[in-house]
Amino acid sequence: MKKHSANQKREGRRKLFNTSFSVISLLVASLAIVVLVMLISSIFVTGGGALSFSFLTHDYVETQDDPAAAGSGVKQAVIGTTILCLICGAVALPIGIGTAIFLEEFKPRKKIFRFFHSFIQLNINNLAGVPSVVYGMLGLTAFVYMFSVFGRVEVDKPAKIEAGISYSYQVKTLANTWVTLPCTDKTVQKLIPTELPPGTIAMDQDGNEFELRVLAAGAARPTDPVEKQRTIKSNALISQISAKKPYYFRLPFGKSVLAAALTLALVILPIVIIAAQEAIRAVPGSLREAAFGMGTTRWQMIRETVLPSATPGIMTGAILSMSRAIGEAAPILVIMGAIKADAYTNLMEKTTTMPVLIYGMASHSNNGYEPLAAAAIIILLVVLLLINSFAVFFRYRAEKKYKLA
Amino acid sequence: MAKNSNLLTAEGLDRSKIQIRSSVASNNWQRFVVGILTICSLVSIATTIGIVTILLLESSKFFGTHQVELLGQEQEVDVNVGEFITSSQWNLDAITGDKVEYGIRGLVIGTLKITVVAMFVALPLGLITAVYLSEYASQRKRAIIKPVLEILAGIPTVVLGFFALKFITPYVLPLFGEFKSTNSASAGIAVGILCIPLVTSLAEDALRAVPKSLREGAYGLGSTRLEVTWKVVVPAALSGIISAFLLALSRAVGETMVVALAAGTSVNSSLDIRESAQTMTGSIVHTIQSENISPGDLSYYSMYVVAMTLFLITFGITLIGQIIRLRYREIYQ
Repeated sequence: MKKHSANQKREGRRKLFNTSFSVISLLVASLAIVVLVMLISSIFVTGGGALSFSFLTHDYVETQDDPAAAGSGVKQAVIGTTILCLICGAVALPIGIGTAIFLEEFKPRKKIFRFFHSFIQLNINNLAGVPSVVYGMLGLTAFVYMFSVFGRVEVDKPAKIEAGISYSYQVKTLANTWVTLPCTDKTVQKLIPTELPPGTIAMDQDGNEFELRVLAAGAARPTDPVEKQRTIKSNALISQISAKKPYYFRLPFGKSVLAAALTLALVILPIVIIAAQEAIRAVPGSLREAAFGMGTTRWQMIRETVLPSATPGIMTGAILSMSRAIGEAAPILVIMGAIKADAYTNLMEKTTTMPVLIYGMASHSNNGYEPLAAAAIIILLVVLLLINSFAVFFRYRAEKKYKLA
Repeated sequence: MAKNSNLLTAEGLDRSKIQIRSSVASNNWQRFVVGILTICSLVSIATTIGIVTILLLESSKFFGTHQVELLGQEQEVDVNVGEFITSSQWNLDAITGDKVEYGIRGLVIGTLKITVVAMFVALPLGLITAVYLSEYASQRKRAIIKPVLEILAGIPTVVLGFFALKFITPYVLPLFGEFKSTNSASAGIAVGILCIPLVTSLAEDALRAVPKSLREGAYGLGSTRLEVTWKVVVPAALSGIISAFLLALSRAVGETMVVALAAGTSVNSSLDIRESAQTMTGSIVHTIQSENISPGDLSYYSMYVVAMTLFLITFGITLIGQIIRLRYREIYQ
């Protein structure tokens, strides 16, 4: 009798544990919802007030007073992120999808090539686990300084190999107008007026060319206003200026948009490859066999059957990896630095991006930037949400179109 | 194919519209395509080789004699491996100090501290959520929790850093005691939050791979659902769960933006999570933005040494995870 009640007690305890764990696990699983709600609501409470259309269209303003009153915005960062991610996608997506096709569809029979294949696969899995800041170090050496093969990168000094840039010298005349002199040797930063060859041709702001005169030390200043505009002092400062075209290009890349985009492309490459591989693997083998049965080569089979039916999956993976690229900050921070106000000019210059700007504003000594950082986060999250729901929608529509048995 | 849809006419197949390519041309074209695809796949190999060689080359330059400006005077400093491993002080900003200190231990302890906090958050919560999703949840509750976890996984890390710095530290932590304005607890919690979706999705995959027959066998012996879960399903999926844990661990060690924002910049080897701490990733970010460094500086090479240490640790963890997954995986028919 006693034994029986002990058994009943144990039975009751087991049932109690069972029900209590099902409640606990539900609570723990709901914690994810609580955290997400807390995260989003705290950001909306902080940044909702700073959010406006003009926030999107104004440049970032550095100030010690209230930045919201100064009209600080995120325009440069939005443009910078867009351009950076477009280049990154243009590099990473073709390479990643190509690698996935190679790994999934061209499996070799020879042992040595099989080894090579599985080595690439293992390598990609390992690359996916490398911290993104380490990629930043790779990009710093390989893209920014290019192993110092092309000489050192120095601020405001011409690079050894460059295109799309023209140099000239600028000097102030006696009449306080600016004239430009042609540049023959780009490595010379400054010219000395007394060492100018006689008969140097200069050009004023209106495009008139004339012979530049140098006023000897102690000589009387000319009185004629035209003459004044064509004469410079013997100790005038003749400094080099440069005009860069939109396609300006140089080696090494330096701390530039291009270097950052290439680094970012390497960061998302493993993600693109793994997603595309899964999409290709999901294509049923019967489709391949049907194509082979019609006498196609392997590549024809891939192009006509595998790729069309794998496209939805590949595109979904591509979009999701792009959303990873948009939110990535660490490698960009290592390549271009924690800059906040640099707008995009050309591929060889720095520009700020949304995550880097958010980092800069969140760690700013002026606490007035806190609502602005939260507002920038809201914009970033909304964009990411739109992109991700576009991916889901795209997959849904494409699945309906290429319905496979 | 859409472009071939008008091949069929009333008279039958319109053969003049079919383009036939010789098989020799097709084969040559295929060879060309395979060549291009091989080059694509070599990019990932080149990335790995690039990371390893660059980290090795540049960090080897860190050790040796350097010219450093100390208190306004040029001095020679001999950087050696022994002090790098044993010392716990880290100060390369030599202009303010009277000597250069370069011990990695403080940074490793900082990283460890935050990682441990993150794992205390992510592993139990992630595993229980995975168990719930795989064993307990109804379709409807799954359809709510899964997307929430996916959204959480897609949130940029810099956003979580902001959350840790401006919400967890000022509003949540004061309930538990006095914390510094930058501390390792808030950074650890935020890193843990970003690891939860990773642990959950990988562990859930492993749990779902356990065949139904095992569960049914246990139910047949009179087990409750709790007993089936913890005595049958979880042990059967253990290799997958452990590799999920290891992946989360390596993710936490390599996390950068959260610690750069929320953990602070002071290098110390205190184990107190209320204090601020600097991690390896944090020191790289701190170095790159602190001064105008150029190749050849001591602090420039220091970033590579730290990155090398970081890479070795995360690579080791990833490798162990893969070995466990491959070797101890139970394959059910």
